[in-house]
Amino acid sequence: MSTRATRRERTVYDPRGVVEAEPRSIAPRLEAGSAIRLGVLDNTKWNARKLLQATVAELESGGAIGEVRYYKKETFSKNAAPDLIRQIAQENDAVLTAVGD
Amino acid sequence: MVAKITQPVAEDVDLVEWYYEQGFSDGLPVVPPTPEKPSAVLAALGGEPDLVECRVPPRWGNLTREVLAVNIVMAGCKPEYAPVVRAAMLALSGPAFNLNGVQATTHMASPLIVVNGPVRNEIGMNAGANVFGSGNRANATIGRAVRLILLNVGGGRPGELDKSTLGHPSKYTYCIAENEEASPWAPYHVEQGYEAEDSTVFAIAAEAPHSVTNHIANDPEGVLDSVVSAMSTIAHNNAVSSGACVVVIGPEHGATIASKGWTRSDVRSYLWMNTKNTFADVSFNHRYGTVYNRNLPRWYGRAPESRTPIVPSPNEIHLFVAGGEAGRFSAFIPGWGHMTSPVIRAIDGRPPASGPVCVDGTCAL
Repeated sequence: MSTRATRRERTVYDPRGVVEAEPRSIAPRLEAGSAIRLGVLDNTKWNARKLLQATVAELESGGAIGEVRYYKKETFSKNAAPDLIRQIAQENDAVLTAVGD
Repeated sequence: MVAKITQPVAEDVDLVEWYYEQGFSDGLPVVPPTPEKPSAVLAALGGEPDLVECRVPPRWGNLTREVLAVNIVMAGCKPEYAPVVRAAMLALSGPAFNLNGVQATTHMASPLIVVNGPVRNEIGMNAGANVFGSGNRANATIGRAVRLILLNVGGGRPGELDKSTLGHPSKYTYCIAENEEASPWAPYHVEQGYEAEDSTVFAIAAEAPHSVTNHIANDPEGVLDSVVSAMSTIAHNNAVSSGACVVVIGPEHGATIASKGWTRSDVRSYLWMNTKNTFADVSFNHRYGTVYNRNLPRWYGRAPESRTPIVPSPNEIHLFVAGGEAGRFSAFIPGWGHMTSPVIRAIDGRPPASGPVCVDGTCAL
């Protein structure tokens, strides 16, 4: 007679649902020494502009920035409009943004 | 792609503790969704377990009917509550509401759900005494089901994707019904173009209710001046970010206001016109540097004496009657701001039936 009991199981649910997003790789790093065209995206948060201005000044003092263009989101809590994202991508090598809450 | 959402566990495992250990709780014990319970809820939702009702940000998990049913069971809902929870989630997940922002913000906002129409009584919701408080299963568990979905499917876990500095107690559950029976006016959803026989959910990203006490006034102006006082601070998000808000009029206050013939529109307009914030108030008189405030409408004056309305128009004051028959109290509930729009949706998804009000070919605008 076996003393080994059969371990009984029951079914439970995972309540999280599936995420179908596809992983995307980050953009390649910019080459050092080239004059970077920098886009600065202001999200309209209370302190974002201050933080961005201070950061741009720091970057410019390092000599790596060729030109700077400024952009503004319609509201901080939503994605930038697709047309604005396309424009930033066309006109710049890098983009700088900040939360600035 | 249909992923398997079930897994086996040993029969002697304490499922309440198991769900805690998995991180699938709101902090309170959940009802373990053993298979027969989600099946009953799924039937109330129309079957088709793999049908994706919506995706829930910021994690963007798929809310299939099966996942919806599982969370509804975990919250403690009866199956007949399920269509209300589904309507609430569909309202929240449309672009107007900006649930992604509401879930992730550092502000304390949480979706407030207000139910109108016959479904309130069919499922036993509380619209009366202690309406925002505890004690009613439908109110408590419908709101809790929404929160569990925001946590589990939306990934709005505190400190992870939910960055709220403080949160507020309504992040456990925040669902009431309008007290249509005690209201001197047509129900809120009728004001918005639905028929009285329709059942709807209204959703707004909101702070906690602020009590408005007035035991003295016997006219509309006096009662509403107390509401105006609650609205006229610089501390809430509407003051500095505009948007929409809610005012809940208690039945006794409602009777006083209506006794002089005032309509819903009169109330909203009076409140809008009489709030007292100025741009000097919201800019701290430029004590900390010159302030423009890009989150207020462009057409608001920026001179120190310019009046700064709490919301841009009377239509952005969403007015409900709720609460117990005794007590001279109302409530002001600030919203999150211009970053979100309140939404209303019929439980069955149908748009409002009524078109423009026309008489002999001339239509009111």
